[in-house]
Amino acid sequence: MALLEVKNLTVEFGSEDKPFRAVDSVSYSVDRGEVLGIVGESGSGKSVSSLAVMGLIDFPGRVTADSLTFDGQDLLGMSAKKRRQITGKDIAMIFQDPMSALNPCFTVEAQIMEALKVHEGGTKKQRRERTLDLLNQVGIPDPKSRMTAYPHQLSGGMSQRIVIAMAIACQPRLLIADEPTTALDVTIQAQIIDLLLKLQEDSDMGLLLITHDLALVSEAANRIQVMYAGQLFESGPADSIFAAPRHPYTQALLEALPERSEGHDRLRTIPGVVPGQYDRPAGCLLAPRCRYADDNCIKNRPDVTDFNGRDVRCFYPLNDQGQPTGQIDGQSTGGTV
Amino acid sequence: MSENNTPSAAPVTQVADATVEPMGAPPSPLRETWDYFRKNRGAFAGLIVIAIILFLAVTAQWIAPYDPISQDRSAFLKPPIWMEGADPRYILGTDAVGRDILSRLIHGAQLSVSIGVVVVILSMVAGIVLGMVAGYFRGWIEVGIMRLMDIMLALPSLIMAMAIVAILGPGLENAMLAIAIVQLPHYVRLSRASVVSELNKEYVIASQIAGAGHMRQMFVNILPNCMAPLIVQGTLGISSAILDAAALGFLGLGAQPPLPEWGTMLAEAREFVGSAWWVITFPGLSILVTVLAFNLMGDGLRDALDPKMKR
Amino acid sequence: MSFLDTKPGIPLLESDDLVRHYDVNRGFGKPNATVKALDGVSFTLEAQKTLAVVGESGCGKSTLGRQLTLIEKPSAGGLKINGDAVGNLSDKEAKQFRRTVQMIFQNPYGSLNPRKKVGQILAEPVLLNMDQLGRKEREERVRDTMAKVGLRPEFYQRYPHMFSGGQRQRIAIARALILEPKVIVADEPVSALDVSVQAQVLNLMMDLQEEMNVAYVFISHDLSVVRHIADDVMVMYLGRVAEKGPTEEIFIKPLHPYTRALLASAPKIDPTQRVKAEPLTGELPSPINPPSGCAFHKRCPFATEECAKVRPELRNFEGREVACHRVEEIA
Repeated sequence: MALLEVKNLTVEFGSEDKPFRAVDSVSYSVDRGEVLGIVGESGSGKSVSSLAVMGLIDFPGRVTADSLTFDGQDLLGMSAKKRRQITGKDIAMIFQDPMSALNPCFTVEAQIMEALKVHEGGTKKQRRERTLDLLNQVGIPDPKSRMTAYPHQLSGGMSQRIVIAMAIACQPRLLIADEPTTALDVTIQAQIIDLLLKLQEDSDMGLLLITHDLALVSEAANRIQVMYAGQLFESGPADSIFAAPRHPYTQALLEALPERSEGHDRLRTIPGVVPGQYDRPAGCLLAPRCRYADDNCIKNRPDVTDFNGRDVRCFYPLNDQGQPTGQIDGQSTGGTV
Repeated sequence: MSENNTPSAAPVTQVADATVEPMGAPPSPLRETWDYFRKNRGAFAGLIVIAIILFLAVTAQWIAPYDPISQDRSAFLKPPIWMEGADPRYILGTDAVGRDILSRLIHGAQLSVSIGVVVVILSMVAGIVLGMVAGYFRGWIEVGIMRLMDIMLALPSLIMAMAIVAILGPGLENAMLAIAIVQLPHYVRLSRASVVSELNKEYVIASQIAGAGHMRQMFVNILPNCMAPLIVQGTLGISSAILDAAALGFLGLGAQPPLPEWGTMLAEAREFVGSAWWVITFPGLSILVTVLAFNLMGDGLRDALDPKMKR
Repeated sequence: MSFLDTKPGIPLLESDDLVRHYDVNRGFGKPNATVKALDGVSFTLEAQKTLAVVGESGCGKSTLGRQLTLIEKPSAGGLKINGDAVGNLSDKEAKQFRRTVQMIFQNPYGSLNPRKKVGQILAEPVLLNMDQLGRKEREERVRDTMAKVGLRPEFYQRYPHMFSGGQRQRIAIARALILEPKVIVADEPVSALDVSVQAQVLNLMMDLQEEMNVAYVFISHDLSVVRHIADDVMVMYLGRVAEKGPTEEIFIKPLHPYTRALLASAPKIDPTQRVKAEPLTGELPSPINPPSGCAFHKRCPFATEECAKVRPELRNFEGREVACHRVEEIA
């Protein structure tokens, strides 16, 4: 059984009669020892969905799901207190900005020991030793002297290491990392990703890596989910999803990357912008920007279907040659899948 | 590759037409502020009260039943009409020299509102100029201005106002000037803080590269972005100006009798606290309601304008 | 002939050993420290070319941008445009020079005045620099430029908050272009944008370069974007140039160990392009207290004793400029 299992998770904001769906029936699962990458542009709902899993969506937002289980326990059904115990100890989360995740008024040592005290207890001496252990584990040079440092005395990379140390302090079984390296420099990003993957491997953790960086997720994750405007568009194994994209959106994203272009050629662009709260299309959410869209796509919303072992939300998933299937000569009116 | 798969090397304008779709229209900032404001019941009630007071102030000449300073020697200290022995002509009764209290209160609204508005405008204009200069140029100019403001804040405000009035001589105009000076540090500090935080924004640097001079930067580019907190402070400032003016009037340093200023009315009625409660209660209530209304509206405005308070 | 006209054989923009130091107050009772944000940077930029400035935070790339746009005066060294030193210009000429170098910023949400309409934002540079134009002509110029960057005429009356990030960046580009500058300094112009929008903006910048003959100083940390858009690359580390040369040569065969590390650290989608290398250890050193000798020696796998003592100067090697003692052995 999977560690975290999410079925048809929906998060809505705004009024009851005209809600805005930030996350729209998203399903996924993370196993222990597995790295699941969720990738999408801004407004794709990738962060909101993980906040919903943690129970961190505040009042005006409404979270519904067919099921939301962690290690077989139903997270939606249980009391708020019990849920907090689980999300505090077994699921940990790290965020984009390490500076704002640390309290500027306390030393590194005080903050890590506080986290340990809540979940593990033990004497002060034991906790101090454990803190030292953790700092060693996350690769902080000269941890003894860093223990007494305040967050503002640390660089961005160091702060993120401290945040990771706090996250793994209670030996969580699932770590959710939301854009963990976006605020960091390239060489530091490589260090932090290596660290996360090493920790994940060592303790057989599940890792949910949320990012906008296609290249980063393709290197780090085992499985990848591509999200767009709150919906899951495609999911599959990391090594094949970008080699042979099945969804036109994944294909277009890849073509828009400068990495894929030759010399000074113009890049392939995706026209338009991600639909916001006020301009969601009636049919497929990508339809106004999709080069293969036809009347069927504009009128009807596709469901997630299985296509050659991949989950794809498209009427006309792409074949190995990158051409849509099931459509009558490329651009004509509605075809059947 | 199919036809529709050719790389888009079309002329810029064509690409652009296809790409730049207007986003769905989010509500305009003004509209959004109004929506938030309206949801705050206290603030909305404050706004209605203020509207009524403003209406009374503007139409005082026509609405007030009597001249505020004409005395009726046949009716000294008449109680309000629901009391025994009342004179039916005077709804809220008369004072010790036979003036209609209702008329005096209505005319007093005119005075109080204009005191509040004039003081806030004086104080705000001077405060914004000083604060902008301090925040924009930094260095010793900032140190000079801000330390002076700190000194002003270190003195109890009413005592300082009294000192200024003592120097200038008692009277409504001088009292207003004194209150404006006392309120000045709030506007200076607020506008300086806003300028400092705006100064590092890239749009300011962009205008600098475009060649904008200091004056343009300060008052055309930066100032409009600092107005939200200043407007809130201004609204709250009106109420404290009314309060201070009443206090100075009560002490005999503000508006001089027979002007129907609420604080002055209170001062004149001091000796009747025990015998004729209405002479002192109604001016007091007027001050209370007006100040409360401005405070409620100010708080509502702050909540509506502050992005941190929004969902 | 005006000093702004291009002269054959003379580069459009020339930076000669540009230095910029800042004094930092370290708190009560301690002496002020000097941060060498820019410590001797020289380069030339030809008309209609793109020079990419690459490096991590604190390498001085944004400081360089501020010197080039004359927001700040360099502590030492000089800038030349078409062979004329900027420092020797009269006030009037300096104003003219400002017109020739404009800037695009990283954050399209911060770089547009939220209380101004698009039309007003774009009109400001014209109003301040072309006083001979009347109101009508000014508006016409704004509308022309809006069309060039693909903004619809009806956007003239709208406020920036009504636009998405990509559209805002178009407005920012239009503002930089409206004076027809020779050089545009673009400070991370696409790093705040989503992939699909990033491609639109990059295409637009390349199209405009051809159309308006503008040269770019493209400041970025994203190597794949740099490879796509730049003719030359200058890699900076702690205020100094580590390596400088034609883009393709640097990407195919990076010489400086830092350039190599940068290239190896950037994740790639194509598994065949991934470089198997140990990631760089250690942090970026503080510019207040930079290491002795070569600033990179503490993180460099090739460092020797000499690297810790002697600062390597930029020298020619295989048609490029590299600041490394051991480049012959490493190459």
